[in-house]
This record gives sequence, C-alpha cells and structure tokens, in this order.
Amino acid sequence: MVVKVYVPSLFRALCGERSLIEVPAGTFDQVLRAVDDECSGFRDRLLENGELRPELAVAIDGEMVPLALHEPISDGSELAVVPAIGGG
Amino acid sequence: MTSAEKPDFKVVGTRPIRPDGVEKVTGRARYGADTHPPGLAYAQILRSPHAHARIVSVDLSEAEKSPGVLAVATHSDLPAAEDKTEAVGEGAVNIKELSELILASEKVLFAGHGIAAVAAQTQNQADDAVAKIKVEYELLPAVLDVRDAMRDDAPILDESRRTKELGGETSDRPSNIASHSQFAAGDVEAGFAEADLIVERAFTTKMVHQGYIEPHSSTAMWNPDDTIAVWTSTQGPFAVRSQVAEILRRSLGSIRVTPMEIGGGFGGKMTIYLDAIAAVLSRKIGRPVKMSMSRRDVFEASGPTSGTAIRMKMGVKDGKITAAEASLTYEAGAFAGSSVGAGAMCMLAPYSIENIKLDTYDVVVNKPKTAAYRAPGAPAAAFASEQVIDEITKQLDVDPLQFRLQNSSREGTKMVTGMVFPTIGHEECVQAALDSPHYKTPIEGPNRGRGVASGFWFNGGMQSSVAASVNPDGSVNLTEGSPDIGGTRASLSMQLAESLGVSYEDIRPAVVDTDSIGHNDVTGGSRTTFASGLAVYEAGQAVVGQMKERAAKLWSVEADDVVYEEGVLKCLKDSTKEMTFKEMAAQSARTGGPIVGQASLNARGVGAAFATHIVDVEVDPDTGKTEILRYTAVQDAGKAVHPSYVEGQIQGGVAQGVGWALNEEYFYDEEGQLLNSSFLDYRMPTTLDLPMIDTIVLEVPNPGHPYGVRGVGEVPIIPPLAAVANAVADATGQRFTDLPMSPRRVVETLQELD
Repeated sequence: MVVKVYVPSLFRALCGERSLIEVPAGTFDQVLRAVDDECSGFRDRLLENGELRPELAVAIDGEMVPLALHEPISDGSELAVVPAIGGG
Repeated sequence: MTSAEKPDFKVVGTRPIRPDGVEKVTGRARYGADTHPPGLAYAQILRSPHAHARIVSVDLSEAEKSPGVLAVATHSDLPAAEDKTEAVGEGAVNIKELSELILASEKVLFAGHGIAAVAAQTQNQADDAVAKIKVEYELLPAVLDVRDAMRDDAPILDESRRTKELGGETSDRPSNIASHSQFAAGDVEAGFAEADLIVERAFTTKMVHQGYIEPHSSTAMWNPDDTIAVWTSTQGPFAVRSQVAEILRRSLGSIRVTPMEIGGGFGGKMTIYLDAIAAVLSRKIGRPVKMSMSRRDVFEASGPTSGTAIRMKMGVKDGKITAAEASLTYEAGAFAGSSVGAGAMCMLAPYSIENIKLDTYDVVVNKPKTAAYRAPGAPAAAFASEQVIDEITKQLDVDPLQFRLQNSSREGTKMVTGMVFPTIGHEECVQAALDSPHYKTPIEGPNRGRGVASGFWFNGGMQSSVAASVNPDGSVNLTEGSPDIGGTRASLSMQLAESLGVSYEDIRPAVVDTDSIGHNDVTGGSRTTFASGLAVYEAGQAVVGQMKERAAKLWSVEADDVVYEEGVLKCLKDSTKEMTFKEMAAQSARTGGPIVGQASLNARGVGAAFATHIVDVEVDPDTGKTEILRYTAVQDAGKAVHPSYVEGQIQGGVAQGVGWALNEEYFYDEEGQLLNSSFLDYRMPTTLDLPMIDTIVLEVPNPGHPYGVRGVGEVPIIPPLAAVANAVADATGQRFTDLPMSPRRVVETLQELD
C-alpha cells in the first residue's frame, strides 16, 4: 500500500537528494504530509491557501490530473509534481 | 494519405461537411465585431508609444470635450486588484498583473500598453478623442532581449519582483527573472563522462505572433440590474467570464459571455484585453460598448509567443543518447508567465534518456505579455534539441531517423518529470517517415537539402459539459460550450452520432453562451475533440439508456432485456419487438417527456501526441531565399475523427512553423518600437510560399477514449522549425542556430563564411 512520489529537482535538497520517495497510500493530503515528514517544508512549498499552487499540476501515473487534497491516490500509483501547462 | 478510413465506425473516420460551413462561406456567420446591440457606443484605447516609462500625469480634459465622447476610463476605474494567482481559464493568471496589463497605472511596460480608454458615439469620434489625451512620461531604459534582461545591471521592470523557485523566493533584490525551475533525472555528469561524442550549441528564436485573421473584438453591456453581458471572439467564454469576474469583482453568475464565431486563435484568444474595460465604460454610459483592435493593436498589445535563448548539450555513445543538459530562457513579456516549463518538459520527450538536467528561466522584458501559441513553448525547445540531434547524426554519419528510432520513447519510458508514458506512437511516426515515399526518394541537385525532426505535445483534458436533446422527429440538438475553431462542431457531432448509432446529418450542434451550459474549459490544448468528445459520447450513452428504459416499459420487460444495436432498440425476449431511434423519439411525449442526455466531466485518459516531419529545401546562395520543395508530416492522431480536419490541422501547423522558421519575427528598434506591426511587414507564409503539405495520419489508439482519440492541433507546429533548419544545414553545410532564417540572415551568414 504505497505511493511513489517523484521529487522535483529543486526539492531534492529537502529530501536528502532523493528523487523518489515511497509513502503509504491515502488521500493526496495524507501523501503530501507523509512526504513532508521526510522532507520538511515540501508540503508548504506546494500549497497555497490549502490548495495546490495554481502554477503547479500533479501527474498520476503519467497523466496530469486535477486533484483535490481530499482525493485518494491508489496503491501503487506514481505521483509527480510538474508545472501547470496551458495549451494553445 | 491517411490510414484513418478503416471501416471501424459508421461515422467516426468519415469526412462529412461541417455544420457551420454554409454560414461561413456565405458570409452570414457572426464574428466578434459583428455585434450591434441597440444603442451601441464605440471605444478606443490610448496606447503607450514608449516601451518603458513612468506615467507622470494623464490629462483627459480635452478628450472629454471632444465631439461625441460619452465617457473616459483609466486604470483607476478598475477595482483594486488582489495580488494573487488564480487558475482562470486554462492557465494561472496573477490578477493584479492582468489588471495592469489591461490598463497601466503607474508605468507602461511595452510599446502598445494601454493607458486610457474613450467611449464615443462613433468609432471615428473615439479615435479622435484618444489622440487628445495628454500623457506626460518619464522615459526609462527598456530591455528587449531575454539575455540582456537577466544581467545584474539590466533595467528592472518591476522593483517588487523577486525570482521564485517552486513556492519560494531565491533573490533578495529586484530581478527580471520571474522564476527559475529545474528538471533533472539520473546523473548528467556521469552520462557525459560516458559519452564518446558531445555536441553543444546555443540557439535563439524571436518573438512571433499567432497571426490569427480576426482581430480581438469585444462588446459589453453593464445592465441596470448589475448583470454584465459580453459578446466576444474568444477560445474560452468561461475563461473570459472568470477573468472579467476577477477584474471587476463581480460574481460569475452575474456575467454572461457569448462566444461569437472566431477567426483563429491558436492560443492567443484566452486573455481578456478589452472585455473588462468595455464593461466599465458601459456602466458609465448605460449603453453597450464595443472595443476592437486594429491589426497594429493585435501585434503590439495582444499576446505573441516568447523569444528564447536556449543552450543545449547532448552526449552519445554507440548511437545512444547518454546525457542531455539544457538551459532555456524565455521572454514572458511585460509580466511573468511564459511557457518555458512546457518547453522544457516537451524538449526531449520523444527520446528515452536516462540522464537529463534542464534549467528554465521565465524572464520579463519590455515587450507585450506573451500568451499561448499552439504547443506553447515546445517549438523553440525542439528547434534546439532536434538540431543538436541532427548534428550528432551528421558527425556519426548515421541516418537521422534511424537514430531517432533507436533512442525513441515508448510505452513505459519515464520522462524527466517522472511521468511514465502509456501507449504512445513516436516509434510508429519515425518508422512511417522512414517508410514514406518522400524519404525513400533521394534528394538531388545543388543547394538542396533534407531535414527531419520530431515533436511531442501532452494534449489536454479538463472540463467539458454538453447536452443532447432528442427531438420527436429523431433529430438531435447538441448543446456545447466550446467555441469551434478547427471543426469541433463536426468532430463532436460525429462522435455523438457514433454513440447514438444515428446519422451525422441528424445532429445539429450549437455553441451557446455561459448561462446556457455547464462549465467548459477553453478550446485549446488540443483538448476539445478528445474531452468534449468524451462528454458527447457519455451524453449519447445517457440518451440510449433512457430509450432502453422507455422501450422496456412499452414492452413490459426489464431494461436489461432491451438492447440497442446500430440505431435499433430490440427486445431480447421477443424478437418481433423492435423500434428505431426515430420511432422511440416520436414516443417521447407519451413515455415520460423529452429525452435529454447530459454529461459533465473533468476528462482523464488524455493521449499524448507525437509527430515526425520531413522537409526538402533549396537555398538560393545569392538571395538567401529558402524554398520548401517538399514537406511530409507524420502524426499519430489516435483516431482521426474527421480525417480532413486532422490533415488541415497538420497542414496549418506546418505552415505556421515554416513561417516561424524562415521569416516571422517581432522586429524592434533599440527603443522598443515594433517596426513590422502589419501583415505587409510581418511576413507570414502564403499559399505561394508552400508546396502541398503531405500528411501521413497514423492511428495508435488512445486507450483513454472510446474511439481512441488523441488531440491533434498542436504537435504539428513543433517539428517544422528544426526540420527546416536541419534541411538548410544539409543544403548549405552551415548550421543556423538563430531564427528566423530569413534571406538576409542566410546571405549574410554564407557571405561571412566565404
């Protein structure tokens, strides 16, 4: 029951230079808090007013998805934080 | 050529006539400027002639006395904007900066920046009146080049700006570098140490415009009950509504935005430049107000795409890419927010590379605020990466397509962001290019060369909402909220027809205003045929479900005992009982009333797009003119819903990309005056400049869509810049790293070599 979280390059200093962290599966918020336990400051830098910063996006298993903090992330998923992308 | 015409579906994959065709070819379609509500007044904006200046004073007195003038407005007429970033429309927008972009308060940041607006009885009176506004400026030094803007001694556009890095600030003093980010995977140093060939180059591209034919035009009416009606040319009526609501601090429900027909957008018609100020003027005079941009306004004051400076380094060993490193700096324009992040993420996506490090810089300069332009950020990035790959293949003396095939991403490949590709079609694109008649035909003759390049775009999902209302005669009204730019009325109607098992001609689509349908995100990001297509599929299935339930009641059986096959309801318990879709529709009043299927979703299952292009050129060494001799574009469409429109999207993307490569650029003087703000001087390609662009449409189905659809509109603009550059290098022996490869640049470069 784990989620693999891919650590953005600029956050790796917070995480002992690790690029991948495994934490227990749960809601998006629980996953972020679990990562934050190992990488202090991780969660605060992703969130603004209790939501993911609008300039960021989350990819689950390769697809960028709109994800609220209360939404579950299923066991075995891979999560990556990436810049939000606007198309033309 | 297409492989799309397989008999998999009844409607999807065919080539019917577009529902909006007759209105458009007979001139009856109503575009942005065709709005004429009773009592209409006309407005004009005074724009700054200076690229960077402090506004000392604005004297409106003479303008107010000018004949026909009804009202004037400046930034002070806009409510104080919050310094917050909001997800409005498709991207994130800083509301305070958007407010400053609409009309400047204390400083003008680019030539063309709006300062004040005048509403008058006629357009000529409004034009005359703005000329009477007196503005005193304190001129400031302008910075126009992205590299100059990053220097420590550069003029600073915004003293309060600090460089941001993923939620934190890294500079303790003012900077034009709005943000820095980094993508990294593996061990780049080890990857380069392993390489037996390393190529490193620096590239630049200039600011270019989408070049849509229809200028921006918006009409607004602030009603006495404080509701606001807006009629505008936009890719995103709901995005316009959100932005107007934020700027004017009104509720979303009080604003109705009606999207008019749109004469092109390509990403440039999502930002509100006119709507809010037209509404403010309307409130002052109690009449509707129309504002339209001239072509010069469009060039100077709308949102082109970034000029860039990119440094790219790549190492290879035994034909495999061992490491890649790049620095991407993109002009954001006067306010933060370029597409550099997307550029970086797309840059090397076609290839499986273990060791990557990409640094990105979003930099403000004294030019118009950039906006999205077809696969925003990716073409310039590919211009760099695909040229470096080309140079590697030349040094290794290997086939450039075979090299791409050997290094190609495939299902399971991890991108630099950590995202893993599902089923994708890059290998198929490269192989199809290798197998194409074009590539199998040798290019011969002096000053001729061939180039290839690949490209990747994510494609979008996002929110769509549609309704399918069945009429008693069996025809169906499809209500949707996505402006039709590239044929989405047709592509959505086709998918609804397929879902319902009825004919395409029985579907009548309508794009409605924001009061009349649930939220729809913009027509952009190559998302509409995919995401709204998912919605119409589900709406169709909802209709079918209702019909099965009603048939079951009529036949006194359970709903599970009714099946629906090819437009016919059948009773599993009694083979004599059948009812066509039209027969059931005729029964609607007697079986429960109107049959309406609705679907609203935030689409998942997006399928990424890949493309590989081949181009042959001939370069005249005396004039520097590059002629496109032959062009073949290969693209994975997942499933081409309407193959003609897919081919058209590809051909249009190629045409724009070729223009970007060979001629187009924002040409500024040293003071920041744009010198080519007309289509006469801003040289876009015409039919005389291009051969027939051959297309090869592949179909590697997207498992996230019932018909396998992937977005198609953006990826075709990514490869042309690099493909043409690689062809020019092949023809001349000279690598051109700066765009555009205009005749002047080509001649000067070749003469320098001589």
